Amino acid sequence: MNKFHLLQFRALLKREMLEHRNLFIVAPVILAGLVLLFSVWAMTRMGQDLISVGIEYMALLFNGLSPLEMAPIFMFLAIPFIGVFYLCAIIYLMNSLYQDRQELSILFWQSMPVSNLNTVLSKLVTIGIVAPLFYIATMFVLYVIAMLWLTILGWSYDIEVAGLGYMFLAAVASLIFVYLSIITTTLWLLPTIGWVILFSAFAKRTPIMWAIGVFILVGFLEEFIFGTQFLGNFVESRSTPTQYLILDFQDVVERLINYDMLFGILVGSILLAGAVYMRRFID
Amino acid sequence: MSNIVEARALTKTYGSLKALDGVDLTIPTGAISGLIGPNGAGKTTALKALIGLCDVEGELNVAGMDPRTARHKLMEDVCFIADVGILPKWFKVSQLIDYVAGVHPKFDRIKTEKFLSTTDIPANKRIKELSKGMVTQLHLAVVMAIDVKLLILDEPTLGLDIIYRKEFYDRLLNDYYDGDRTIVISTHQVEEVEALLTHLIFINKGKIALSAMMTELADIYTEVVVDPEQIAQADALNPIHIRELLGKKSYTFESVPRAQLQPLGEMYTPSVADLFVAKMKDSRHE
Amino acid sequence: MKNIILKNRYTLLVTVLTVYIVVLVIEGSITGRQAQVLNFENPFFDLNIKDLDGLRERRA
Repeated sequence: MNKFHLLQFRALLKREMLEHRNLFIVAPVILAGLVLLFSVWAMTRMGQDLISVGIEYMALLFNGLSPLEMAPIFMFLAIPFIGVFYLCAIIYLMNSLYQDRQELSILFWQSMPVSNLNTVLSKLVTIGIVAPLFYIATMFVLYVIAMLWLTILGWSYDIEVAGLGYMFLAAVASLIFVYLSIITTTLWLLPTIGWVILFSAFAKRTPIMWAIGVFILVGFLEEFIFGTQFLGNFVESRSTPTQYLILDFQDVVERLINYDMLFGILVGSILLAGAVYMRRFID
Repeated sequence: MSNIVEARALTKTYGSLKALDGVDLTIPTGAISGLIGPNGAGKTTALKALIGLCDVEGELNVAGMDPRTARHKLMEDVCFIADVGILPKWFKVSQLIDYVAGVHPKFDRIKTEKFLSTTDIPANKRIKELSKGMVTQLHLAVVMAIDVKLLILDEPTLGLDIIYRKEFYDRLLNDYYDGDRTIVISTHQVEEVEALLTHLIFINKGKIALSAMMTELADIYTEVVVDPEQIAQADALNPIHIRELLGKKSYTFESVPRAQLQPLGEMYTPSVADLFVAKMKDSRHE
Repeated sequence: MKNIILKNRYTLLVTVLTVYIVVLVIEGSITGRQAQVLNFENPFFDLNIKDLDGLRERRA
């Protein structure tokens, strides 16, 4: 891994963000715009009394809590963004090794000295690290606007606004936890991501049908051959958020280094390795 | 002279169709090699196999590597332009250049920008907004700035008008080819590339029908406009092709000494186009 | 062996999925990961794959 390889990988990531700017840049900005519009509409309906009571109530609620302690509560604000992010992530992963084969642009990508391993890794890093940053950045801007707006409202209604600063810090801290949670979630869901990428590299059309169809088929075959249901069970056991949400910095090590996480990364890697080799078959 | 491409018994099947059927292929280093065959002859499959874009069976060595296992390493030394516009349509011209500069260690950005400044291609346009001729020009501009050993062109001028086609080959020959590099061009339009080739390969139905240096052609092939009274004698010498020519019959012979043909009539070295027709008919009779 | 696996996309897919499911089954039996039966708990219908006979009786 020398300097050129790092620069090369950066170019690969830049390509992903440019190609999928609608999913990772435009989508969160539109969502933020909708949230703002909705807030303005809600505020105009609420009236001055309700708003001032609301701000004072929140200040009371958080009284005595440090911003870091308040942060997990603010993570709820990110739910619409996380929802949209995962929707976009599924679309992205389904298309990741499929769309370029459809468009024939794969002949260009593969005529560059980029290994299949790096191509697949760049998709993973995009979905796990780079793309979420853009969502986080959009939310950060949204929070800044919200705080300024509430401050101005507070002044104009003559309400005590000192608590808003704390709330803002808590909201920003919550973004850090959201970001860390997305990273651990990506690792935790690596078997699912690997499954989707594998079929994205495999299918000649409709990768999603292949991914779901073969999942059901393999589940039945497992039951038939081994008499067990570990595949279904494994996926079910991956769906509990308590295993990957990070609400505190102390959670990080615990979430990353435990048997279930490491085993998931191991079997996810089997599927990803399959996707890397699958990339050899273009037509 | 060493060979940059050495392939033995390449085979590729799509279902029941044999796209490549035991192809033996050698391309000498420094040649401008024309891979010529009718549509569906296996040209594209053969070229894709050379750069690991298509999985084939058989022995294959390109620039000292096996493309099937070392594609990304090999692509530091090989460039590829295809007939279909394979540049990603959503890229802006400037973004494409950034990308290649980022991933290719042998890319010289300044060369590309210099080339583009001589064309009408705007840097801030997306590739899908460019005409087909411009996309090919752009691809050539990028590829010519990469210092590689082997350049592979698969029907590069298909669907372009005559001005773009001429300019394409002019640029290639004058600005790019230096005698050390090897260029392989596939096409079914023989006349267009005839003048620049130094090496010739005919391919038909997945098989190599001919592979020779251009300088060797005159030694191997002779076209004779046979005098009417000599026809029986000419037929006896196993011509590979006979055609009507202004009321006379023109025979093409392979590997028959010219001394032996002299008495039959006037002798020529067949043009690549005529040879192509002769060889294609020839392999159909087999 | 390697030639067979890498011959085409189908043999590769089958190989990868076989390795995957075998690892899951072995790990599952070692750790005793609970092999639960899929239970759809909703008021509209019930499905217990291990209790198909019971289901038939109720449908009858």
